[in-house]
Amino acid sequence: MCICAFVKGEAFLALADPTRRQIIEALRGGERPVNDVVAELDIHQSGVSRHLRILREAGFVSVRVDGQRRLYSLRAEPFREIDAWLAGFRGLWEARLDRFGDALAARRAKAAKPVTKTKEKKR
Amino acid sequence: MSEAKTAKAPVVFERSYEATVEELWAMWTTRDGFEAWWGPRGFRVEVHAIDPTVGGALVYDMIAAGEDEIAFMKREGMPLSHGVRATFTEVDAPRALTITSVIDFIPGVGAYENKIRVEFSAEGTRARMVVAVDAHPDDEWTKRASAGMESQLTKLPDALVSRR
Repeated sequence: MCICAFVKGEAFLALADPTRRQIIEALRGGERPVNDVVAELDIHQSGVSRHLRILREAGFVSVRVDGQRRLYSLRAEPFREIDAWLAGFRGLWEARLDRFGDALAARRAKAAKPVTKTKEKKR
Repeated sequence: MSEAKTAKAPVVFERSYEATVEELWAMWTTRDGFEAWWGPRGFRVEVHAIDPTVGGALVYDMIAAGEDEIAFMKREGMPLSHGVRATFTEVDAPRALTITSVIDFIPGVGAYENKIRVEFSAEGTRARMVVAVDAHPDDEWTKRASAGMESQLTKLPDALVSRR
């Protein structure tokens, strides 16, 4: 199994949690220490640390030690992979719904055709 | 089979058609309607059962029909025809329906439910359709997408990821 498949599987689980999505939002502006994230989200530090660990394991977040501080930042790769994957998925459905529209129009056109009456034989 | 867990990442599509809600409904719930559009480009669908009641079955074969698609399936070592079984789990005619299938064949990924929910509403002389689809967290899709093969993906049926 390629790494992207691993990242994808983890990605859906990691992103399923609303707090983790909030943390991702909080890190969108760039690298931040955990205390900053705790202050912004108003969640206990142990909770934020736990969610950060899950995000790190899923590949969304990287951590850098700077003296006493641990600085967290987003990694672009899994987001790019999800984008590419969704583009393919979305493309399939867009094409499918195009066919839905075409098939619907064809059925309507067929239904709207005037019925050809058989000419009555002259008596 | 282990208990199915839900791995949802719904993708939502919205379309509007010059039609009635009932006409859209028929495209999802009748044999003729469903067969007319469901199969991806180069594939056709043969419906064996379509019972739009809660708990009713939707059983069909997805069959490669186009020259390129047949060649592609052979190259990938995939069968040209694949049977799909799903269930109508919500039926509120003609306003909403949900089709559910259980995906339990992906190595390393626990069983999960895959749902397609569709809502229909009248919009003047037109009808609106909103389709919410659970994305498949599936290896095959991901490999192809990440390899830059999105265009190829549009040729593939869900059957490729529903392969058991």
